Amino acid sequence: MSDEVQNPDANDGGDAPEGTAGYVERYRRRGTTANNELLVAVTAVVAVSIFPWLFADAPVISDVLGGYRGLATLMLIWAIFAIGFDLLLGYTGLLSFGHAAFWGGAAYAAGIFSAEVSSEPLLIVLAGTTFAVLFAWVLGFLSLRRGGIYFSILTLAFAQMLFYMASSPLAFLTNGENGFTSVEVGPLLGVIHLDELLVYPLDILYGEMLYVFVATFAVLALLTAYRVLNSPYGTVFRAIRENEQRAEFVGLNVWRYKLMSFVLSGAFAGVAGSLFTIHGQYVPLESLFWTESGEIVIMTVLGGVGSLFGPVLGVVVYLYVENVVSGFETIGPFWHLILGVVFVVVVAVFPRGIWGIIEDGYARVAGGETAADDGGER
Amino acid sequence: MSLAADLLRVFLNGLQTGAIYILVAIGLSIILGTLRFVNFAHGALYLIGAYAGLLITLEVNLSNGLLREWGFETIGLGWGFLPALIIVPLFVFVIGLAMERFVARPFYDRPDTDQILVTFGLAIIAQELFRVLFGGQSINFARPGWASGPVSLPIIGNFPKWRLYVIIITGILVAIVWLLVEYTDFGLIVRAGTRDPEMVELLGIKLTRPYIVMFGIGAALAGVAGVVGAPLENVNPNIGTGVLVPAFLVVVIGGVGSIRGAVVGGVLLGMVFSVLVGAPLPSIDILGTQITWSAWAQVGIYALAAVVLLVRPEGLFGEEVTG
Repeated sequence: MSDEVQNPDANDGGDAPEGTAGYVERYRRRGTTANNELLVAVTAVVAVSIFPWLFADAPVISDVLGGYRGLATLMLIWAIFAIGFDLLLGYTGLLSFGHAAFWGGAAYAAGIFSAEVSSEPLLIVLAGTTFAVLFAWVLGFLSLRRGGIYFSILTLAFAQMLFYMASSPLAFLTNGENGFTSVEVGPLLGVIHLDELLVYPLDILYGEMLYVFVATFAVLALLTAYRVLNSPYGTVFRAIRENEQRAEFVGLNVWRYKLMSFVLSGAFAGVAGSLFTIHGQYVPLESLFWTESGEIVIMTVLGGVGSLFGPVLGVVVYLYVENVVSGFETIGPFWHLILGVVFVVVVAVFPRGIWGIIEDGYARVAGGETAADDGGER
Repeated sequence: MSLAADLLRVFLNGLQTGAIYILVAIGLSIILGTLRFVNFAHGALYLIGAYAGLLITLEVNLSNGLLREWGFETIGLGWGFLPALIIVPLFVFVIGLAMERFVARPFYDRPDTDQILVTFGLAIIAQELFRVLFGGQSINFARPGWASGPVSLPIIGNFPKWRLYVIIITGILVAIVWLLVEYTDFGLIVRAGTRDPEMVELLGIKLTRPYIVMFGIGAALAGVAGVVGAPLENVNPNIGTGVLVPAFLVVVIGGVGSIRGAVVGGVLLGMVFSVLVGAPLPSIDILGTQITWSAWAQVGIYALAAVVLLVRPEGLFGEEVTG
């Protein structure tokens, strides 16, 4: 069974006549999983280490880019959100329009927890994530009663319900339309202040401690996603995406795997939402609004669904355009319109997003091996 | 004021709120039922209808619009709203045809998620276009002179005239669509296409044309909803998405592809909303905070959808669980 679904794209018929070559290739790849994991970890750590410096402080490059450190932190937070979202959309094939509920819900839970219980950052993240997981369980249980498009509509509807609850009936808890303002963020483990600059020379790379805090979660999120996707569990997710009926027939409890994928994705959104609260020390009501769900959809699809790094790329592009390009006098006012057009073109012509374009381009340069051979696993 | 008057007023308000939902939801439901196409840009059609109606009403106006520039002063067209009510549906109908041909048709064979994504992108483009063209601020869409002010009804007393017109216009339009689908050959083909498109094609009937017309009709209804709904609120680029989510709920509650379902679902949602907003219920006390029922109005319609879904996942008038 697991062999059957191990590499769905390769089994679609295209290279079936090659017979044994496919098996050899598959075993070779399985043997290198551990090495790949190390490679992904090192790549991720190096990337998040040089990113803020390159983006905000490096000579020439940062002048051209016009980036700033706060934005680098924000990008990593959204990247965690996007990786989790892609677990659901790209790998299980479920399009949720309700992820604002987990992002915003966790942000509120984290904020309220910080004000009422404890201002320890790790506990804040734990509280927000716990809320997101529990809520994802309930919402997934309800929404997964109908598949396909209805799932999208229902997640959208139930997330909107949470938005309206926060805006009015629960205003005594959430502070209604003004957003939650009394966020308290204390020192990490009681000693490390997140808003302090790191000691020289680390401050050149990382700036504030907050960035290290967020970056740690981002790297962990990426590795967790990689681990899950390359486990038998993740293989089942892909099997469901490729052919739900067939997965059902080989005896898998599809509904349970879908729910787990949804909850897992909600957990990532929860971590990201909690970090967002710690980063901004404020929870706007809009964080629950469905446009927020739309943004994560755009980011993920733009960057490339079904790949590990694609969504991260999408986040960087989107937030960069939103925060930097929107300031340009010429095209600034039209940034949302332009992104909308690019988004439609990507959906219609390049379903694998910017990352897919890069992969295809690389494959053409390298020759021979097409990106499809990877089964979209990277 | 008597209790009967209160209840009747709540009932009429619910009917009016539901009427807008119905107009948007019918098109959504039929397109989903027959063409199996999810149109997240359906709210954008409402938006286009609202702005187009606003512009026509402003331009076809003897005190300062285009007609005056062209020298018309005595034509007696004091009500620019009526032309809007006729031109806008035709305009949005054409947009609907174009959408079917150039957006929906290439996406029929692609996964549901792709359909949702591309129409969602189109909705964003429409919204942003209007923001760029007319600014993000809210514009007041004045009710036409002949329909502003209150009307005196028995028992209730004064009731806003425009709300009554919205109910009447919706009633007429729904009746027309109902007759069209139930009692004409066109309707027969469309309904048969919903059941078994392959068999219909085997009988030698091409479904392409009925489908594209149905898409146009659905779009036109959303356009009308924009024209009649906009004078109840202010027009801004976000109203399209604001009406899309309740309309989807109506489809889910009523059952996909069913006109009856859309009507019942729309009325139900409207009633829940209106009862929570307007019914003379005492406020409740939670943790020392007074919470009025009206605060729950928006939440109520989603709760209703959740309950219906748990009891009858296929919707009240839905026939089968698909997808």
